[in-house]
Amino acid sequence: MASRRRMLLKVIILGDSGVGKTSLMNQYVNRKFSNQYKATIGADFLTKEVQFEDRLYTLQIWDTAGQERFQSLGVAFYRGADCCVLVYDVNVMKSFENLNNWREEFLLQASPSDPENFPFIVLGNKVDIDGGNSRVISEKKAKAWCASKGNIPYFETSAKEGFNVEAAFQCIARNALKNEPEEELYLPDTIDVSGGQQQRSTGCEC
Amino acid sequence: MIETDINDLSDDADYAAASRQQGPASFNRSDSGRRSSSGETEGAEVVYLKDNVTIHPTQYAADWISGRLKLIKQAGSLFMTWIPYKGQNSNARLTEKDKNLYTIRAVPFSDIKSIRRHNPPIGWQYIIVVLSSGLAFPPLYFYNGGVKEFLATVKQHAFLVRSADDANVFVVNDFQDPLQKTLSSLELPRAVSVANSPSSSVALSESPSSGNQEMTEGGAFNGSAASVRQNGTPRQKHNDPARDLHMQVLEKFSLVTRFARETTSQLFRESQMDGFLASERRRYDQPLVEHQSLVEHPESPDSNGSPKTPVPADPLEFDKMSLVWGKPRQPRLGLEEWSNFLDSEGRVMDANALKKRIFYGGVEHNLRRELWPFLLEYHPYDSTFAEREYLVAIKKLEYETLKKQWQSISHAQARRFTKFRERKGLIDKDVVRTDRSLSFYDGDDNPNVHLLRDILLTYSFYNFDLGYCQGMSDLLSPILFVMKDESESFWCFVSLMERLGPNFSRDQSGMHSQLFALSKLVEILDSPLHNYFQQNECINYFFCFRWILIQFKREFDFDRTMLLWEVLWTRYLSEHLHLYFCVAILKRYRNKIIGEQMDFDTLLKFINELSGQIDLNPTLRDAEALCICAGENGAACIPPGTPPSLPIEDASVYPQLEDDIL
Repeated sequence: MASRRRMLLKVIILGDSGVGKTSLMNQYVNRKFSNQYKATIGADFLTKEVQFEDRLYTLQIWDTAGQERFQSLGVAFYRGADCCVLVYDVNVMKSFENLNNWREEFLLQASPSDPENFPFIVLGNKVDIDGGNSRVISEKKAKAWCASKGNIPYFETSAKEGFNVEAAFQCIARNALKNEPEEELYLPDTIDVSGGQQQRSTGCEC
Repeated sequence: MIETDINDLSDDADYAAASRQQGPASFNRSDSGRRSSSGETEGAEVVYLKDNVTIHPTQYAADWISGRLKLIKQAGSLFMTWIPYKGQNSNARLTEKDKNLYTIRAVPFSDIKSIRRHNPPIGWQYIIVVLSSGLAFPPLYFYNGGVKEFLATVKQHAFLVRSADDANVFVVNDFQDPLQKTLSSLELPRAVSVANSPSSSVALSESPSSGNQEMTEGGAFNGSAASVRQNGTPRQKHNDPARDLHMQVLEKFSLVTRFARETTSQLFRESQMDGFLASERRRYDQPLVEHQSLVEHPESPDSNGSPKTPVPADPLEFDKMSLVWGKPRQPRLGLEEWSNFLDSEGRVMDANALKKRIFYGGVEHNLRRELWPFLLEYHPYDSTFAEREYLVAIKKLEYETLKKQWQSISHAQARRFTKFRERKGLIDKDVVRTDRSLSFYDGDDNPNVHLLRDILLTYSFYNFDLGYCQGMSDLLSPILFVMKDESESFWCFVSLMERLGPNFSRDQSGMHSQLFALSKLVEILDSPLHNYFQQNECINYFFCFRWILIQFKREFDFDRTMLLWEVLWTRYLSEHLHLYFCVAILKRYRNKIIGEQMDFDTLLKFINELSGQIDLNPTLRDAEALCICAGENGAACIPPGTPPSLPIEDASVYPQLEDDIL
């Protein structure tokens, strides 16, 4: 079958402190939400097996500290990423305004080979709070920003209630896969030698 | 001088008598050795004593070393010692120094796993004592018999059962819980200790700390072995105790390699032949990797395969045979003992003795509130009760003033004060996710959580340049838990941040210098592991980031964290014991790390998941031993100003440091 390296899809979750990065990761991987998470120190990751087109992949999801001061560590953790998830809290303006900083910081530190086309996904989290009445960023505004950055797929999520989390990570996985260099996608002993790539490249219709 | 400190047995009346019979001791004894352990062997009862118990380091009878084997009961624990006689075999190839390397100094039976009895048809009976770590002492030959009596005595005072597999094997401390057993076994051998007996001191600490004249470059190395030397105050330069100590350490390593290892491995080959305890056979027959993974993860499904990669030997592994250990941990310091440290007006009479006591045992929880301010150097050791009371009152006013600075910010002002809002926002987010599983901090609207917030916000005004950074709430939480009082917690936190503030600096320079020092320490203490990290792009040591940033706060439960902190805060032996503690943990798992060829990601995950799995006291003993082992070379790995050392330019602000550190 495929090589080990190709099977691993590395995803980095970034965003301001307290927007729910750890919660999103745990909701997706363990289907659990806790009120007692601690602020992430350093970095950690969880893995989950995902299947696409009869093939299994390991999604390695990296959770990092949200405070800007720790960004210089990024260079160690972002390396080799296949997709970057930018998270903000729909109830906190600053966390939305910082999305661009996180995006640029990521590109700077991870230095992907094709920064123009590197797959990002934006998640607007905590839509459950106060029934959405306390939100300060509208979906429209968020989507407009995503469109201006090269049509970044956008999802509104609630890690607490599990809302849209699975769908978001499906899209994340697909985009991560899309980022894998073509020559690594098909190895000599792989049976399926046609078709898959085109289907995959359609990505998610977000 | 150190020679005599370590080996001087003049306080041991039995030994003194024995050595007089054997001939004059070949060392000049100093007073310090006597002073070092006087009074500290009180309460020890010799329950077994046998002369002419001998080890055979080589096949040549001239090298055989006879000594006295004793079982000593102290404070409810049983210890074994074997002290070679001095002055025998004047034409032996082994010097006195060599012989002393084999000395067994008060090994507690809690560290002993099993004793194997051998009754060869011809020759002397002997025993092999195997430690929990899997290490073993050289065989002890009983020239005058007495093995049966020895075992009977052990059985009276410690838990000893005959192995079901082999009638000649007696298992000590057979824990019911295999996991417990696993945790108690040591991957890292005890390195070199300067201990004479379980409760005896590092003799140097008792030396008067008069002259600092030798220590011109030493400001940066406070607390390291270099300052051991400094405060050890050698009487003659060429007889520098610390140097002797390190020389001896090095010699110990080489000698142990040369003699003990050969002998012991040979014996274990023999042992297999006649049906040694099954588990022992595993230990010694099988490649280290497999043994290691078996020990660490008995339940792990992948531990039954053959090792994937050959693991280079730990260069310090030979001291598995060196019979020396970090000193046994002591019970926590209690109220009665603490009151003896104080004079009638409340001054700590001997700060170094206090630090040493806390280093080896920690503090009972109800005393922490009184002691932490000293350890953090918020309260001077030589202050009186009255002076401290006054200080507390003054500081309370000062705190209130500081706190008002942000309390007086109106809503309108806050709207125009982004930095304040952001800072407050960060703190608000973090305090509600700090130690909330503790009842002290749980529940909605918990007043202690509000205190955390107020103190952190006040600190971010007190030290506006540093501000607030994630991790600080982790450092404050135990302090507030202990101190209870808001102002006192604040000032203790300020003192702690004097040491750890650079961990949070914007350029991360404090963290980088510590990670760098850590890599250098691993390089000298385990170069194969260092090479492995280098080859596998793990050399940045970021996987240890959390350990260092918040002083292992996430790696231990709350009580163990507090114990570890007070040990680190004593700065006894080294200001940078935490780095040796990192090395100690890494060395415990080195074979697993290398054997499984962990890459950076896997290693980071592995290290993160060690949280809650690290055995505190044995690791502290390892760290102590590693620190002594590394000595000046270790201190030289740590650049001046590396946290928690004070920045070099400010060193003069804290002149008392020079006297504080052993």
